[in-house]
Amino acid sequence: MSGAAPASLTRALPAPVRFVLGLGILTGFAALGTALVGALRLPLPGSVVGMGLLWAALSLGVVRLHWLEAAADGLLATLGLLFVPATAGVIEYLSAGAAWALWLLVMLAGLLLGAGVAGVLAARLVRK
Amino acid sequence: MTWVALTLLAFALGVLAQARVRHPLMNPTLVATVLVAGTLLLTRTSYDGYAAQVRPISFLLGPAVVALAVPLYRLRALLAREWRALVLGGAAGTLVGAGADILLPRLLALAPEAQRSLMTASVTSPVALQLAPVTGAPPALAATLAVLSGLLGALVLPPVLTRLGVRHPLARGIALGSVAHGIGTARAREEGDLTGAASSIGMGLAALLVTLLVAVLG
Repeated sequence: MSGAAPASLTRALPAPVRFVLGLGILTGFAALGTALVGALRLPLPGSVVGMGLLWAALSLGVVRLHWLEAAADGLLATLGLLFVPATAGVIEYLSAGAAWALWLLVMLAGLLLGAGVAGVLAARLVRK
Repeated sequence: MTWVALTLLAFALGVLAQARVRHPLMNPTLVATVLVAGTLLLTRTSYDGYAAQVRPISFLLGPAVVALAVPLYRLRALLAREWRALVLGGAAGTLVGAGADILLPRLLALAPEAQRSLMTASVTSPVALQLAPVTGAPPALAATLAVLSGLLGALVLPPVLTRLGVRHPLARGIALGSVAHGIGTARAREEGDLTGAASSIGMGLAALLVTLLVAVLG
């Protein structure tokens, strides 16, 4: 909860309406990020830029957490659903056959090296 | 519309299966993918036809990626207090992990689409999917490899970190989140709130860092 004025108008909205408001704000930031990326010809996804902009807007108090947290929590709770349409496209790569073993090996190497470095370094830097 | 219904129901089934069998491989996305892909193969439906029908589901990815800012914002106090461990540890891990995912496929001379898809294996799948136009990866392969990488990380990393003597919850969380993203974070939450929180931060920072890395290389 942010330090918004008590009993604010937005806080009194019914939950479904607040959900719609939140979804509108999140989609608005995605659109804003996409527009910015297009205008500046940045090689970045608009939604990641939108995420950065929302973080800044929350930190500056331009956007209040309670306006959108119900929608954000709802979307993040079912995040795994949203890329099933993409992962189902794996049927187009079944013919890669034995190459899958190499792909998994590369990922395993990346995971072990990355997590090993992150874990050991973070353990040294953490304040007790 | 049939395929939208099937995708939603397959995912719900995956969530139910996960509640019954607590194992990283019982992941709702993996279960739904196997069910949907199997049905597509059995009914000889083209993937393009399916993808066009389920566009309403894919559309929500943009707002969902934006929503990742909310847990990061909620954890700002932890981030401010432990930024050295979280930011430096997470950045080093993400860069080493993504570096291996970028260099090894080149050394092994893997197929170009696999090279491009592996670049984003260490970021959360929605971000990997949104990065596909930037890396030139086939979106389906990039998303699938990201999911598999997360599953693999959730399976192998916790015991490896213990072997390495990484016991502090924040250090374990940041290690899991920075390379195994959402699925690693779900596994980290099982170890405790602090581990889960550090993992969320690691996942969010990895999304930003890999996006920048890909932008620089691309």
